[in-house]
Amino acid sequence: MSSGLAAAPEVELPGLTLERRRAKRKAAWRRRRLVLLLMSPWIVGFSVFFGYPLVTSAYLSFTHYDLLSSPRWIGLSNYRYLLGTDQQIWPAVYNTLWMIVVAVPLQVAFAIGIALMVARARRGVGIFRTIFYLPALAPPVAATLGFVYILNPANGPVNILLKHLGIDGPLWFQSPGWAKPSLVLLGLWGVGNIMIIFLAAVLDVPEHLHESAQLDGAGPLRRFRAVTLPSISPVILFAVVIGVIQGLQYFTQAYVAANIASGQASQSADITSNLGYPEQSTLFYPVLLYQNGFRNFEMGYASSMAMLLLVVALAVTVVILVNSRRWVHYRGTAS
Amino acid sequence: MSSTSVPLTMPFVKRKPPASVRRRRFLIAVANHSLLIAVSIAFLAPFFFITLTALMTDNQALSAALWPHPFRWSNFLDVFHKAPIWRWTLNTMMYAGLATLGLLLSSIPVAYALSRLRWRGRDAVFLVVLIALMLPPQVSVVPLYVMWAKLHLVGTLWPLIVPNWLGDAFSIFLLRQFFLTIPEEYLDAARVDGCGELRILGTVVLRLAKPAIAAVALFSFLYTFNDFFLPLLYTGENPHNWVLSIGLSEFRSLHQVQWNLTMAATLLVMAPVIVLFFLAQRAFVEGVTLTGVKG
Amino acid sequence: MKRVAAAWFLLVAALSLTACGGSSGKSSKASSAHPVKLTVWAGWSASTHELKVFKGVVAEYDRKHPEVKIKVVGDIVDTKILAAIRSGNVPDVVSSFTSSNVGKYCPTGAWIDLAPYLKKDKISLADFTKTPLYYTQYKGKRCALPLLADTFGLYYNKAMFKAAGITSPPKTMSQLTADAQKLTQKNPDGSLKVVGFDPASGFYDGAPNKVLRFASLFGGHYTDAKGHSILSKDPAWAKSMQWVKNLIDWYGHDKLVRFQAGLGDEFSASNAFEKGKLAMVEDGEWRVAFIDLEHPNLDYGTAPMPVDDSHPELYGSGHVNGTIIGIPKGVPHPAEAWALVKYLTTDTHALAKLSNGLRNVPTTKESLKSPELKPDPHFATFLRIIDNPKSNTAPITTVGSAYQDLIQTFALKYQAGHVSDLHAGLVNLDKQIDAQLKQAETGGAP
Repeated sequence: MSSGLAAAPEVELPGLTLERRRAKRKAAWRRRRLVLLLMSPWIVGFSVFFGYPLVTSAYLSFTHYDLLSSPRWIGLSNYRYLLGTDQQIWPAVYNTLWMIVVAVPLQVAFAIGIALMVARARRGVGIFRTIFYLPALAPPVAATLGFVYILNPANGPVNILLKHLGIDGPLWFQSPGWAKPSLVLLGLWGVGNIMIIFLAAVLDVPEHLHESAQLDGAGPLRRFRAVTLPSISPVILFAVVIGVIQGLQYFTQAYVAANIASGQASQSADITSNLGYPEQSTLFYPVLLYQNGFRNFEMGYASSMAMLLLVVALAVTVVILVNSRRWVHYRGTAS
Repeated sequence: MSSTSVPLTMPFVKRKPPASVRRRRFLIAVANHSLLIAVSIAFLAPFFFITLTALMTDNQALSAALWPHPFRWSNFLDVFHKAPIWRWTLNTMMYAGLATLGLLLSSIPVAYALSRLRWRGRDAVFLVVLIALMLPPQVSVVPLYVMWAKLHLVGTLWPLIVPNWLGDAFSIFLLRQFFLTIPEEYLDAARVDGCGELRILGTVVLRLAKPAIAAVALFSFLYTFNDFFLPLLYTGENPHNWVLSIGLSEFRSLHQVQWNLTMAATLLVMAPVIVLFFLAQRAFVEGVTLTGVKG
Repeated sequence: MKRVAAAWFLLVAALSLTACGGSSGKSSKASSAHPVKLTVWAGWSASTHELKVFKGVVAEYDRKHPEVKIKVVGDIVDTKILAAIRSGNVPDVVSSFTSSNVGKYCPTGAWIDLAPYLKKDKISLADFTKTPLYYTQYKGKRCALPLLADTFGLYYNKAMFKAAGITSPPKTMSQLTADAQKLTQKNPDGSLKVVGFDPASGFYDGAPNKVLRFASLFGGHYTDAKGHSILSKDPAWAKSMQWVKNLIDWYGHDKLVRFQAGLGDEFSASNAFEKGKLAMVEDGEWRVAFIDLEHPNLDYGTAPMPVDDSHPELYGSGHVNGTIIGIPKGVPHPAEAWALVKYLTTDTHALAKLSNGLRNVPTTKESLKSPELKPDPHFATFLRIIDNPKSNTAPITTVGSAYQDLIQTFALKYQAGHVSDLHAGLVNLDKQIDAQLKQAETGGAP
């Protein structure tokens, strides 16, 4: 029942006086203001550091821009070069895809394996957890430097040890065939943070599930497949997603390894062909993008590379998320 | 039996089994976990080799020798003479410290708004946050560089610090996941007491979310400490503002190094993080678990 | 609520205010009483003696000219220069080792045109030596001047020659191959102990890279009259790359890589030639100064590089390159900057002092005859090489040195045995270079 004053057209709800309606609207308005305030940093940040660059990248990808003069519109020329003529693109794409397809499953499997082993050690869990987590803490540059030294084909400790065993060690970072596997080894060394998550998940599997499976006569392998694996599948999804995201951005280790392994002193080392050493085997897509955009200052072309990367990243993310429902089991309510 | 807290069932007095039995049990344990131990040794080996090389002379480092002869502890001091490690450390601390601070200040309110307040478009915005999380930074890097260049800030640390003061997708995501787990009863109780939403955020939520906030602070500090790509981009050509990761990567070419000094420098750069880990072990592990299990 | 927002704005404002002071190299507005501050960027490194020599010469100028105060920054590479010009924090005078990039600096105006300054001060280009004049301009636009030149020759270990019974340095490629094989020593396990001559690209390589330098010795040409790349049409390229590959295969490619991985850095005191791990090496004339300082007792000799057996007339020539110096766009005191550039590039005393200290070749005709030059039999070889009319340099293009990187990338693949058809590979390389140049000129990707 409305009271008194001729009110604005409002639905007559039984029991709601105008005062209460006004108070409700005021509360809603105050809440919106609050949300706006709380979200304001993100709104500004998103517009400036995400929205604006995406739009501008798209625009720049149709221009020739070297930062010395204003952008010059050249239409699809960059894309034609990107998808047709540039001979460096396909090695870059291949390397990045290789990294994702090979390194991510290896890292996840390795992390699960170690987590299972550590979970078994009842008393030393803390120590082992520390041992495996420590390398993941090492700054990537430091870890890469260390590995390039350790895997030096001539005098690195690894090849020296192998020589004592009578094996001629491979050329590691100096060989185009072994450079990426060397990077994968480096990645496996740093698998600690994923391993800890798996460890927590494995330890979290309810004991009674294991027991009932054992009663049913299931061996350890079967138990793993039927009990453990489904329970940790959300973590597997998480690890795969993280791995793929990191694979698409893979830069630091490749850049540092290529520079150090090619052994050029800075004096005459203005040579961009260092990146991807040896023979473009470590030329990943983000590295090539950096080279084109910030060594050659071909910013228009680099923007077109960025657009391609964006499309691929979105596609991969969607594919993973859509397929996740199929084989991820959530215990109880979804997290 | 006295009436104090002595339990009715007396604890079983464990007598230590004889040494030979203990040794046998230990050996069995080792055999049981032989693979684990082998992999652990493999994991520790790189640290071991790096340390050994850091203690060698330059000629030894280049040769096939595995053990330093003599032990040159002075290498660690030499590193400080060869390169401006202190300045790099200062730059790194400034970047990591200011970025982490800003990140916390800006991400907590956003995470709260995305989790405990109901408003139209909330889930859409969260989806956008997720998407921003997944996209490689290389996608947006060219126009941002142009923008900072036009502002004459390329070569300084500001392009690295400022974005963190305007929210960080990963922290927002983590904090939001954690805030979701806070039982509504606590918040309702505070609301009933007449607290405004901001007050609730500042007192109740912050106190309850301390472990999550600590974890986020720790991770963002770690992430910015280890960051390489963005510092390379913005300060790569200005050695005065190099951070540790850039400095270390350039260390080899700075003074025609000398693997022994490079390995010493590598250890020095790894050290703060490892020390931090041992000091804040619990926060680390809890935080990592938080990311994975709640993620 | 409002307080939070206000705090935000204050913070952002504070950040932006304090940020504005982050420039480097900008000279202050000078009044007549205060000296103009100039910053000079140079490629010479603080980790070697070279930067000290350069700083010494600049300091002399500084003392004689109280109206300027000069700071020298070393270890500069071209990426730094390009980044600085784009972000607006430019030094007043800049120099570079990568002369090929003059094709990027001149047309875009990144380095300013020096012609009016040369005219005003009545400096004739004929004062400078021929080849350095070429790599300091692009299509007639002169934005740089040469600051000492480099050339490459053969360094050989006399003691090892004596031990192997070789009486004189090789003059042809087949002699070089034979000598290299004779001088190579192996360890008992078959790995390489001493290598006679390592022609591999990427090893102790620089700009200009080895492929280009060897091509000079085979008489290679880069482009035809229309400017198209002819690496597949000029037989010199295939011949030189095959020669390199044959020698590498004789050592065993993997064995050589392993050997290289255990050597010291090129510009350190553990340089492999200086340490006796390489019997012969093709290196720049600056190596004389390094050996003088680091291993004065090394018994070595210098000679022009051997040349293609079918082109004996090329003997005595070599690939020429050098340091270039110029003034970037947007400097506040171009007059003072030019005065310094003029001094460094034309003053005979300055050039002689730099040449003595760096063992680089002076770039004006007068300084080449200066009595201040300290004679050195090892260094004299290089003075003759630069004088040789057949000495040449790589072409300047708008992509700077990018096409040279393409060549090196291909050579690295070929020498590793990953190119099955050399000719087809060279044809493809030509296509790549042409596409790269076309895109750079009409706009688009490199």
